[in-house]
Amino acid sequence: MGKQMTEMLKGTLEGIVLALLAEQPAYGYEITARLRDHGFTDIAEGTIYALLVRIEQKSLVDVEKVPSEKGPPRKVYSLNAQGAAELEEFWKTWDFLVQHIEKLNTHKTDTTSKEN
Amino acid sequence: MAAKWIEMITGPLDQKKQYREAKKRIEALPEPYRGVATAQHRYYLVYGGVTDGDTLVQMFTDLADLWERAAIDGTPVGAIVGDDPVEFTETFAESYGGKRWIDKERTKLIAAVDEAIGKEGRP
Repeated sequence: MGKQMTEMLKGTLEGIVLALLAEQPAYGYEITARLRDHGFTDIAEGTIYALLVRIEQKSLVDVEKVPSEKGPPRKVYSLNAQGAAELEEFWKTWDFLVQHIEKLNTHKTDTTSKEN
Repeated sequence: MAAKWIEMITGPLDQKKQYREAKKRIEALPEPYRGVATAQHRYYLVYGGVTDGDTLVQMFTDLADLWERAAIDGTPVGAIVGDDPVEFTETFAESYGGKRWIDKERTKLIAAVDEAIGKEGRP
């Protein structure tokens, strides 16, 4: 993953993970797998683990310990009301950013006008 | 009663026990997981600057959880840590909002700037 991509993702990954958890509860590895399904292929598992710790500390998720076949129980994370509110806020911020950044993107309008 | 009195001097005994527990779990990991977990543990003692014992204990317990899980699942170290071990290790620590020694300095900095702004207002 490129340096710029890593930097940009850093600010949005929390929102992305909250969005995934809004679909359905999951444990750490499932979240990484689902991120890969959504095209985020190069995210290290530990990054997600640290993020899950953070959203747990911020009380955005409820945690349930589910026994696993081998080893310690897995922590299953589900979005709670506070997390849902945070996710709502994330989408608002995201829409704002997309709109305003797109306006700066003269490069893109140039290429499309050339194609036409 | 006696235990409470001792804890006033030594810090909470329960916390020490949990810390030792986490340390033991890290030492019991198979290689190469033990190597990387031990290196992170060491890094935190130098870098972390966390002064709040509860946070430190929680952090090390979670670190043990992470690497035990990885060892059982056979996840490669690289898949956990990613391209930048320092970034990964520091991000992990930042998730814990405990008190750091730098907090005191930050408070002082904010107070100094406030004071400077206050002086600015005067003729």
